[in-house]
Amino acid sequence: MPNKNFEQVVRFYELQPVPAGPSIWLPLVDVTLITTAGSRINLPLLFDTGASVTTLRAEFYSILGLQSWDQGQKVQTSTAGGVKDVYQYVATLEVFGKTITCPIQLNDQLPSNPLFVGLLGRDTVFNEFGFGFWERTHELYVTGNP
Amino acid sequence: MKYSIRSLQDIGEVKANLKAMLTSAKSPEQTLEMLDKIGLEPFVTEEGDLLVRIWTIAAEDFIPREEAAIIRTKRAASEQSDHLDWLSKNLAVIRGQYAGEWIAVYEGAVIDHAPALPELLDRISQFDRPLITFIPAEPVTWTFTYAQ
Repeated sequence: MPNKNFEQVVRFYELQPVPAGPSIWLPLVDVTLITTAGSRINLPLLFDTGASVTTLRAEFYSILGLQSWDQGQKVQTSTAGGVKDVYQYVATLEVFGKTITCPIQLNDQLPSNPLFVGLLGRDTVFNEFGFGFWERTHELYVTGNP
Repeated sequence: MKYSIRSLQDIGEVKANLKAMLTSAKSPEQTLEMLDKIGLEPFVTEEGDLLVRIWTIAAEDFIPREEAAIIRTKRAASEQSDHLDWLSKNLAVIRGQYAGEWIAVYEGAVIDHAPALPELLDRISQFDRPLITFIPAEPVTWTFTYAQ
C-alpha cells in the first residue's frame, strides 16, 4: 500500500478582479528557474495538470541562452485557442524544494496574465511528487516521496 | 533532540583563500574576473565597495536527502509567498503603474521594470530569486481553460 501522506501544503492565491467583487483563487507555484548564466529568478506558474509539459512565455528564450524563441524542437500542441507550434528545450527548475532538469516549451500564444508567466506541467516534474488537490479549502498538498 | 554533523568544513580557510586572491590581482577588473571564474558572484556597490556571495559547504550530510526537500521548501516558503501575496494584493495598483511592462518583485516592492525582459534581467542581476512577471496592458481574462 503506497504512503499517501503529504509533507507540504501550498495554498492558492486570492484576488478580486473587480473591487468588492467575487474572489478568484488560483493554484500558483513560485518556481525558481536557474538561468544558463547560473543566476536564479522566480517565476509564478499556474499548477496545471492538463499541461503535458511545463510552458513559459516565449520572451524567456534569452535566459535559456537562446538567440530566438523558435530555434528548438518544434512541437505541435493543442491549446484552448487551437493547435499551435511551440518549441521545446531543457531547463533546470527548483520546484517544491527539489532541483529538476526537465523539458520546457516556449509558447508565443500564452494568454497574458499578471499573476503567472507559464504553466507548471507534468513531464518529468510531476514524476518527483505526489499531489492532492482540495478546491474547497484552496490548498494543494504535495509529497516529495511519492 | 541533539543531532550530530558528520563533516564540518573550515569556512575560515575559504576566507583566507579569498583574501590571497584579492591581494594578488593587478586591477579591480582582474579581481572581478577572478571572482567570476570561481563562481563567487562579485557585486560592486554604488559606494564602490566589493561584495561577494560565498556559497560553500559548511557541513556535508547535514540532513538525510529525503528530508532536504521538506526543509528547503519550508525555508523558502515565507519569502516566496510574500512575493506572490504582495503581488496579488497590490495588483490593481501595479497594473495601473506598470501596464505593458515586465516587473521584478523583491521584498514587497517592485524593484525595477522594463518593456523588454532582457533589459530588466540585466538591471537586477544582483538580486537573488526576484519574482518576474509581465503586467499586460490589455484586459485580463480571469476564467480560462488550458489544455495541452
